[in-house]
Amino acid sequence: MANELAMAMADLDEEKVQALVKAGLAGGVDPSALLNECREGMTLIGQRFETGEYYLSDLIMAGEIFKTAAADLAAQGGSSGPTKGKVVMGTVKGDIHDIGKDIVVTMLRGANYEVTDLGVDVPPAKFIEAVKETGAPVLGMSGLLTISFDPMKETVAALQAAGLRGRVKVMIGGGPVSEQVREYVGADALGVDAQAAVALAGQWLAA
Amino acid sequence: MSNEALYQQRYDRIKKAINLELVDQVPVVYMGSAFAPRWHGMTMAEFCENPESSFQVNLATVKRLDVDGVNLAGGGRITPLLTSLWMARLGVPGRDLPADSLWQVREAEVMTTDDYDAIVNMGWSAFFGSYLPRVIDPQEFGMSMGWVMQNTPRIQQAYREAGYVIVCDAPANVNIPFEYLCGGRSMQKFFLDLYRIPDKVKAAMDVIQAEQIAAIKAAPPFGGIRGIWVGGWRSASALVAPRLWNKFVWPYIVEQVEALVSVGITPVLHWDQDWTRDLVRLQELPAKKCILNPDGMTDLRKFKELVGDRMAMMGDIPASLLAAGTPDDVYAYVKDQVALFEGRGLILCPGCDAPINTKPENMEAFVAAAREYGKVG
Ligand code: B12
Repeated sequence: MANELAMAMADLDEEKVQALVKAGLAGGVDPSALLNECREGMTLIGQRFETGEYYLSDLIMAGEIFKTAAADLAAQGGSSGPTKGKVVMGTVKGDIHDIGKDIVVTMLRGANYEVTDLGVDVPPAKFIEAVKETGAPVLGMSGLLTISFDPMKETVAALQAAGLRGRVKVMIGGGPVSEQVREYVGADALGVDAQAAVALAGQWLAA
Repeated sequence: MSNEALYQQRYDRIKKAINLELVDQVPVVYMGSAFAPRWHGMTMAEFCENPESSFQVNLATVKRLDVDGVNLAGGGRITPLLTSLWMARLGVPGRDLPADSLWQVREAEVMTTDDYDAIVNMGWSAFFGSYLPRVIDPQEFGMSMGWVMQNTPRIQQAYREAGYVIVCDAPANVNIPFEYLCGGRSMQKFFLDLYRIPDKVKAAMDVIQAEQIAAIKAAPPFGGIRGIWVGGWRSASALVAPRLWNKFVWPYIVEQVEALVSVGITPVLHWDQDWTRDLVRLQELPAKKCILNPDGMTDLRKFKELVGDRMAMMGDIPASLLAAGTPDDVYAYVKDQVALFEGRGLILCPGCDAPINTKPENMEAFVAAAREYGKVG
């Protein structure tokens, strides 16, 4: 049974989450424990999204509540211990849509992955650099425009050219992305929503 | 056949489709903004700066494809128009962007939460006038809108003389309050407002809505199909939680649709993204008076099942198919769609708007497939 903080998080009750975090800290509760409860709430949110109880607007609100709480708790020394693994994420060159990408990043972080968020309009070289630097075995690209397919393809080719393709799994997502597009781009998987991103990361990083 | 006779034939076809009557040939119409200039070698800068160019290149595209008509006629400058739709600044090719790149909506938090109160206190039109300088030079805006008002009759005449029907030719412009405010606040901020300050948002929406309804009721009578977009971009079911959608989206759509129908206008539900969850609600709208205009993401089988006997569909060739697919893929898509509708209530059209990188061979395949499979009688 999830505790009160996790439930407040899952119910998107912003005031209650803030109050519980504040009261917890004041009462000497370990910030890391509180952070884990928030994550538990995010897991519940992901489940509610999957079952169709929650929609995108709920994920946006959840992300906002989680980000604030996590920042407050981190400032008090809260951490969830070792993460489940590293993921590099960004919206591809020429595309500045970031709402979906941000949700994916927040849900991944909520599930305790260490995410390097490169932002929007990210050229292939920058993706490659980040993958090299972090050693992340998973790369996620977001794109909402039909003109985003080519930069995705170029990035996969650049991974190949850098000799990294073998050790990096590539997932793509964003409104117009389809199986046809995945094939065109040469990505390993396509994720239809943020939950799919979490599931893919789980699958690849568990192996 | 004379162009006037052709016009009549095509007009009948589209009218029949709206009435869900059997057609001789499934009507096919064009819709695309950036594709037309790209196909004709016109720069985006020219397309955006010269109001006449946007009309001419759209008409040229319709003639070259020789379809039955067009969803929107084009004409006028697109960037001020988008500013008025989303209360946002736009990057204009040739000014802020390279001459042949796509225009860009620069969505940012321009509207503040205090502006909700300002809308309530000042009224919508007055607020809008005072807000404009934050996103566009008001003089430029006025000139663009003036050009459209002045030239619309000439544009409509030109299409008709060439034998083509304009589906959305009604002389009015409406939008649900959700879309204006979402653009002005920026989507993320606006969605948070719906959770945090719902009453403030709703009060502003109600003021906007009242003025929109009054404007609709004042629309002058007019001859053609009298279609008009009741658009949904950020208010899609897939984006908005049901309890918010039921409060901030649907009641406003219903009220606008009913007002439009009461003055003889055909609401064209230009809905991007996935609206499948709420398709059943379409049963609440007057039968055979509206057109659903989806972009490829809404489930049409469900649509047929739930409202196929009440409403026509104009669409929905997906943008990604036009850009990344092959002519064979396009053929297969059109074939399936015609089979699904069995000759009733279907107007074939690119979903939303054919993107800038539509392959011309895919656009041509779309029209050829429509002609080949669309023969009914
Ligand atoms: C908001 C919006 C904008 C905002 C973006 C604000 C922002 N900060 O992101 C602004 C106004 C800036 C904008 C601009 C433009 N836009 Co826009 N925009 C939209 C809109 C309305 C919503 C997009 C959105 O945020 N969806 C919600 C998010 C949460 O969904 P999502 O991104 O798909 O993400 C989910 C999943 O896909 C998945 N996911 C996403 N990324 C990833 C990645 C991985 C790895 C995985 C596994 C999963 C995953 O998880 C997410 C959560 O579940 C859509 C239409 C619509 N209703 O969808 C058009 C839309 C995407 N835009 C479109 C267009 C054309 C444009 C412009 C070119 C218009 C213009 N000329 O100005 C510009 C281009 C700007 C640019 N260079 O990128 C088109 C694209 C179609 C096409 N032809 O390519 C759309 C579909 C509208 C349309 N039908 O015309 N836009």
